[in-house]
Amino acid sequence: MKPTGAHYDVVIVGAGLAGCAVARALTRADTTARRRILVVDRYPGVHPRFSGEWIHPRGAAVLDALGFGDALRAAGAIDVDGFAVFEHADATPVELPYADVTTEVPQGLSVHHKVLVRTMRRALADDRIELVEGLAACELRRDGDGRICGVVFEDGEGHTCEVACDVLIAADGKGSTVRKLAGIADRRDTVGFTAGVEVVDATLPVPGHAHVMLGAWGPVLAYPILRRADGSIVTRVTFDLPKDLPVKGEAIKQYLLRAFVPFIPAPLSGQVAAAIVARRGPLEMAPTVDLPAPPAVQPGLALVGDAAGCSHPITASGMTMCLRDAETLGEQARRRADAPMGEPWLDDESLHRYCVEHDRYVPTRQALATAIYEAFRGETEGARAIRRALFDYWHSGATARRRSMSLLSCAERRPSVFLSEYLRAAGHALGGSFVPRHAWHFPVADRMRQARGAASLARDKLGLVANVVWAQLRPGWLRHSWARLPWPRRPDETEPIAGRD
Amino acid sequence: MLTAVPPASARASSSRTHGTVVRGAPLDQTLARLDAWLEPWRERVRERAETGSRRDRAEQEPPWALQVPDVGPSAEVLLADRLLHALLPAEREGLLTWIRESQHESGAWLDVHGRPDLSITALAYWALADAGDDRSAEAMVKAVRVVHALGGAQRANFEVRLWLAMAGQIDWSWLPAIPAELFLLPGSMPLSPARFSPWARGVLTPYLLIARAPARLHLADASELLLRRGNEALVAPRLTRPGLAGDLLQAFDRTVKLSRKLPRGPLPRWAQQRAQAFIDGAQQEHGGWFSARPTLLSLLALRVMGARSDDPRIARGLAYLRAARGRVLTPGGTVALAQGLLAAPMGVCAGLLGTGLLPTDAAWLVREQLHDRGPWQARADAPAGGWPLEPGARAHLDLAATLAVLETLAQLRPEDAGAPAAWSAARRASAVLLAMQEGSGAFARFERGETEVFMQRLPWTDGDLLAYGRDGDATHVQLTADALTRLCAVGLRAEDDRVARGIAWLRQAATRRDPPGLSTSCAIARAAAVLLPESDDLRVQTERRIRNRQRDDGSFGSLLDTALALRALVELGHTCVQTQRAVRHIMGAVEQADAGLGLQAFGGGFGLSPDTVDPTAAARHCVAALRAYAVAASAVTELRA
Repeated sequence: MKPTGAHYDVVIVGAGLAGCAVARALTRADTTARRRILVVDRYPGVHPRFSGEWIHPRGAAVLDALGFGDALRAAGAIDVDGFAVFEHADATPVELPYADVTTEVPQGLSVHHKVLVRTMRRALADDRIELVEGLAACELRRDGDGRICGVVFEDGEGHTCEVACDVLIAADGKGSTVRKLAGIADRRDTVGFTAGVEVVDATLPVPGHAHVMLGAWGPVLAYPILRRADGSIVTRVTFDLPKDLPVKGEAIKQYLLRAFVPFIPAPLSGQVAAAIVARRGPLEMAPTVDLPAPPAVQPGLALVGDAAGCSHPITASGMTMCLRDAETLGEQARRRADAPMGEPWLDDESLHRYCVEHDRYVPTRQALATAIYEAFRGETEGARAIRRALFDYWHSGATARRRSMSLLSCAERRPSVFLSEYLRAAGHALGGSFVPRHAWHFPVADRMRQARGAASLARDKLGLVANVVWAQLRPGWLRHSWARLPWPRRPDETEPIAGRD
Repeated sequence: MLTAVPPASARASSSRTHGTVVRGAPLDQTLARLDAWLEPWRERVRERAETGSRRDRAEQEPPWALQVPDVGPSAEVLLADRLLHALLPAEREGLLTWIRESQHESGAWLDVHGRPDLSITALAYWALADAGDDRSAEAMVKAVRVVHALGGAQRANFEVRLWLAMAGQIDWSWLPAIPAELFLLPGSMPLSPARFSPWARGVLTPYLLIARAPARLHLADASELLLRRGNEALVAPRLTRPGLAGDLLQAFDRTVKLSRKLPRGPLPRWAQQRAQAFIDGAQQEHGGWFSARPTLLSLLALRVMGARSDDPRIARGLAYLRAARGRVLTPGGTVALAQGLLAAPMGVCAGLLGTGLLPTDAAWLVREQLHDRGPWQARADAPAGGWPLEPGARAHLDLAATLAVLETLAQLRPEDAGAPAAWSAARRASAVLLAMQEGSGAFARFERGETEVFMQRLPWTDGDLLAYGRDGDATHVQLTADALTRLCAVGLRAEDDRVARGIAWLRQAATRRDPPGLSTSCAIARAAAVLLPESDDLRVQTERRIRNRQRDDGSFGSLLDTALALRALVELGHTCVQTQRAVRHIMGAVEQADAGLGLQAFGGGFGLSPDTVDPTAAARHCVAALRAYAVAASAVTELRA
């Protein structure tokens, strides 16, 4: 299957959550119904690897606004109520309900990723969108100014086709091919791996919540992802594995049973163990990647979703960020809905506005995910102190939980809130380090070691905090670096593609 | 050589095993033979698990001991019976037989390593003399000569001098003075008895009460054990080590003793009340106070403080001591009765059950985990968890036992009914494990700081008794290595700062002047195998050290050492010629063994008996090593060929 046209206003590479949402947002913004949008995906059907499945209320609201919500719920998506975090399996979980965050809708959405993608692609069929599966971007075209103006696709048999476009949107995930072809450098770092298993009718201690269970090497997450037609509920359980896997192949199952399952509260632990044992073939695995946000735009190109930066999935904010990208691009497209046909729909100014907005919320998300992942892993004295401090802080009252949840669910972006949360956590970490929980003659040397660790970690994170605060305070008129820097120009590709519609 | 007698059923089934053609490959046959030998021991553990709370059953049947040190505790039980009057005639005769037949031809009584021991010889001689043995008999005369040759009873350990003082044979000034006021200090103070090791607390608290009580024990005269000068004056022992500091401390000791004669207000009375309250509060569910010696002294303290023989505390304590006795084969081949240090060490019980774990065994182990707060939590920041020194001990954590139970519970399959409960217990134990790590990176066995007792720094001759071992000794190196191996099994990695500290401490301990022994090297090797890369120096050197210890016959020394070395090499990833030779040696040794002979091995003790005889250790470790080898190298097929 090939694209029907030679020129499109927008070409979107990647038909996952981000690609479909952007396509729908642009369609809705095209009030005059004269724009042509092409969505292309490498995989016929869906991507074989399991991926994000949890959407915060901020993202769920975007999905509803784009008209996907009802279709997804009909396909089995589940409205979810928040997080339940277990410091250890015997502890009472700390509940972080969405309902406390009054600025957003009270529920998020959770859905099996494959169901999500299939449903969204089906929904796009009703729009004025051309969806082509089985093609991968292999080359970009630039005009004389270096602006991206076309893309070459290749199918599985090596046949190529070329289309021209005013704007190319890369929604092809954290390992984005388009990003590489555009020459955008990234500092991608594989943090580890996530192994996933599905459990039918699991007994979750706090139904309707995503469970974060600590104590093992890495956090274990459990959350409902699908309500089947027969009423049973499928729960996804994920295990965070180290980068250099201690074992490989089938032995990973035994490793999970030995090193992770015991840290899950009963009876869920037994159900998870049974699911692992019953699983035929290898477990579903995906790398966890820390990708500090690269420049999200180039002339004629916008990166959205994981292609524009991603972090560890501990805060489950990746999909919400995708949807915010789609929303932002939709707003820019709506602003330019009446642009003359000879001009690009999303011009450089629109892309710049998108980039400014994107750069405000992505660093916050990444900083939070990195810090929380480090604290939840607890490999150092400081990280363990922060972890203890977080739980102490959350136990200190509903206000503390609400403020944390506002940040975690991407509903809060004020730098003052981020800064005050950082200071409170650091304060709790320092104070809590001096106070043992069980020992009554805890040696002073141990207390000092804990306090030193907490102080050292808090100091190390100052740069991260400053980065987040600057991202929020940065004036919009300050042009993004891409506008001042030359992008890769290739003299042999400066000719515009002929045959525009 | 001391040999614990396996249960009668063990001997019967072992004979059956030898008389039956065991089908399968040689390795299978060896494993089957070991399993048949171990099965009755496992059954005894299961029997105890079922009847643990029914003391009447334990009293009816002669119980058994898994770990017996030397004749010392048996002699002390005999001496204490002058006041306690609890031994049945058969028990008394059994203990005396054990002592008599254990005497070496030189006249000495030996420790578990076969070395003449002054304290054991003095106690054994005195117990026999008290029982009416003829002091002019050749064996008794020889024993006195040995005691004199070794410096006289006044140079014996603290325990012997305590008995001599209790019997009025020597002055109390021959024992170190412990100011009673120390018991009034808060537990956080370095001089507080709360900072002593649990064993030392269990011994010194009753010592304080006994020393202040007017009552004396009426025992046979033992004055011939004391060395005298030419003018018949006794040679007083020196309580401190030579040197200026020792002299100053000796002077301080005298000052304390003199000050007791001065009016000191209510402080001594309050301190005594505190010590008495400690004894009342420290008796555990199984009836004992930590182990046999603290129990014996606590019982004596209660009696001299006025408790009647029908006092329930006395009855429970005596039942505990009885449960800690077991039948042993003397070197002469007679079945006798010996007093062990513990009724049933949890670590050994778990190790035995681990050779053939049933879900009911796992359930029992889970039930035996610690649920109550204990003194070990004073400096360890963890909730109650882990396993005690022996079943029914609710106060004292034993990290070695905890590691053994964790290794056993790890064998449970996820589909087993008790798996979630076992996971839960293992999870809590892992938290305890981490909390028991010292600042240096080493792990403590009973309480944090057990190797660093402040008063141990003073030049007392008996100062070492206050602590449990020393920083960097073999016990703590093995414990630390085992703890790191276990932490790795639950997912911790070398990047974790706690594991990193432990590894750094192991490196330091392994490079000290004295190279670690074989069993210590094997423990380090197992930890290195899972935590360190192949090229790591510690791993390479430890492996080389183990390999160099192999003898021509394929063994690495005793059968236990061979099993430990085999397992270490296998876990290091080798199924080389050396491991095959070790396997063949074990198979040959087991083939030749009859009813457990030759399968005994040493185990860990504490206090005045740091080593014990553990009759099942070699068999247990052989099973573990052979299973590991079979898994690693498909050995069954290879050896069949």
